[in-house]
Amino acid sequence: MSIMEKIQNIDRRWIYLLAWVAVLSPLLNPLGLPVTIGRDSTRYYNYITDVPDGSTIMVTFDYGISAMPELYPLTIATFHQLWSRDFKVVVIATWNQGPMVMDVVLGELNPAVRYGKVYGEDWIELGWVPQSETGMAALGTDIWGTKPVDYIENRQTSSFPIMQNIKTAEDIDLLISFETGTPGLPEWVRQWNVPYGTPIIMGCIGVMVPEVAPYLQTGQLGALIPGLTASAEYELLLKRPALAIAGVDAISMSHLLIIVLVIIGNIAYFMTRGKGGS
Amino acid sequence: MVDLFPIWITVFFTLAIYTFLYRENLWFRLATAIYLGLATGYSITVDLKYLRDQWSGMWTSSGLMMTLFAFAILVGLLWYFRFSKKYFYLYRWPLAIIVGTGIGMAMRTIIFAQFLTQIQGQVGLPLYVAGDALGSLNNILIAVMVPCVLLYFWFSGIGARREGVAMKTIDTIARYTMMAGFGSAFGYTVLTRYSLFIGRCQYLLGILPNPPEARMAFMVVAAVLLVTLFGWDLYKKTSS
Amino acid sequence: MSDVFRRIEIPIAITIVCTLLQIIPFYVNIQPLASTADTFRSWMILVATCATFVGAISLTLYNVKAIQRRSEDWYYSILVIVFMLAILLFGLPIPEAGLGDQNPQFSFLFVNILTPLGSTMYSIIAFFITSAAYRTFRARNIEAAIVLVSGILMICKNAPVMTTFWGPFVDIGDWIFDVPNMATMRAVIIGTALGAIALAVRTLMGMERGYLRGGGEE
Repeated sequence: MSIMEKIQNIDRRWIYLLAWVAVLSPLLNPLGLPVTIGRDSTRYYNYITDVPDGSTIMVTFDYGISAMPELYPLTIATFHQLWSRDFKVVVIATWNQGPMVMDVVLGELNPAVRYGKVYGEDWIELGWVPQSETGMAALGTDIWGTKPVDYIENRQTSSFPIMQNIKTAEDIDLLISFETGTPGLPEWVRQWNVPYGTPIIMGCIGVMVPEVAPYLQTGQLGALIPGLTASAEYELLLKRPALAIAGVDAISMSHLLIIVLVIIGNIAYFMTRGKGGS
Repeated sequence: MVDLFPIWITVFFTLAIYTFLYRENLWFRLATAIYLGLATGYSITVDLKYLRDQWSGMWTSSGLMMTLFAFAILVGLLWYFRFSKKYFYLYRWPLAIIVGTGIGMAMRTIIFAQFLTQIQGQVGLPLYVAGDALGSLNNILIAVMVPCVLLYFWFSGIGARREGVAMKTIDTIARYTMMAGFGSAFGYTVLTRYSLFIGRCQYLLGILPNPPEARMAFMVVAAVLLVTLFGWDLYKKTSS
Repeated sequence: MSDVFRRIEIPIAITIVCTLLQIIPFYVNIQPLASTADTFRSWMILVATCATFVGAISLTLYNVKAIQRRSEDWYYSILVIVFMLAILLFGLPIPEAGLGDQNPQFSFLFVNILTPLGSTMYSIIAFFITSAAYRTFRARNIEAAIVLVSGILMICKNAPVMTTFWGPFVDIGDWIFDVPNMATMRAVIIGTALGAIALAVRTLMGMERGYLRGGGEE
């Protein structure tokens, strides 16, 4: 077997080892590579900045623990921007692990201490809404009926001061969604954006990004944070570098590894093909 | 020691999954079995909590609503005839309710959300944007690409005959467009998968806000798992 | 009598009624019908939620059989059942008894076992995608070359080291996202919308019965 053929047929575990090295090295010894702020993160940041004080924003956890590594930094950064302003924030989840992720967010951000936000007056968490699209529709029609008790204090939703003027989707000024799949944007567009005209912005995992491009072009989606790199840019815009920025060097090295491997693989392929090999 | 235990458990289960990269082994199967049990049990707990919370809401506002709630539970019990050969047909009734409602919910707005608005967005693209040659070119490209890709999957009527120059050209443009789109999807897939892996590595290395004690646990647990895997392979090799 | 209940027309009729109950009030303003549809939606969610034990029962039956027969790796089946029952017991929504999502044991199982397992399970794909890219991502023909080039360019856009090295990677990546990717996905969205509408019409006509299969009878 020629060297080129050996290169093409190398044991995949060596490639796995290279992937470990490419990720662990920059995490252990950060390279401090500069991050260019792109249009997506700027648009998302400006979108929230332009929302007037006093507006009601619904934040929905359309993801669970499986997507936490990619979406959690964005979630933290978004809540930081929201709680730094005078918004009414209503938190729900359409994935059943969403409330547990929100518990982790609360543990890190502690809105009462850090931002002076009072639960029940400035923000509220209503918990999981089951049955994806049907649940979203039910929520849009009757928030009190669909979520009769809140998630944290287990009290009647209607008893909280924040909820007195929030009963249907028409009372929500902006929907912010963190998504990893279905249910997700198409369902929100069908059940909230079309019937009620609710503006939507979102952050999603990279895998979902290509399929939301048409919604962005038509304006059905107002802004998008496509993955961890854009989340890092968003953290820079907020002047609050955190987990996403800490991971950016590792993203660079891992992506560089893929590029190098693909190039090597193709060179080996063309050289063996040229010699009549497979 | 009590505070370190959860961290070591988390590190152990993380690395147990990663041992699959070496080969399938006892640690990986242990982890996946536990994951399957926990995920199934967790789903039930959140469902039960939802049912309990619903009883606190509109379903107790009147006798009629309470009756409807009880009726929902009774209909819900029909799901379990799935396990009966004789009365399997009863399982189809709640299924029909769910499917019918789901289709109705999607259909009432899909025409606007995914059809008319997208077509409006397509038709509304200006083919000439003053002072923006690239923008004009992009819009022309989109105006050509979208119909080509749509026609690529059209197999009746004009789409039935694909031998002509026109259809061959359309097919070629469509294929190239889709390939560029799929390449873009691949690029973003790489980002997602590595982001997830990087997140786990940040925990294993104890990078804040993750607990710093995780790093020591990572080194020790990784060493133990690797020793067991290599040791077992060596034992099998020498004993055979 | 039970022969009447067995007829497939009953669930088909239920499907049609439920579908129309959601569609008609959206287009025709009949307030009592709209209120009924809203209440029915919430009621339907209750019915759907009641199916929660179906998966657990299937899983338990399968694993109990494996244990009884002492199938290969039957001891893992014990783990499945034990951990399922454990999180279920500790997570029962009875806060009066100290159970539920505030229960320490439930939190431990979720935070320290389920969360790392769930996160790691999906992250492992990063390795497979790297290996697959190395072994199979080849520019064998023009189409493959286009996928390769566009994929590499998008990877360059997402890697800050590459965009720092050469800024236009960002613009090129944005162009790929805005033009060919958007065109492809727009066509897919329109196509799936048409397909979904066709499926709905077939369901309303009672021609679509795939979801009713099973049980060894039609």
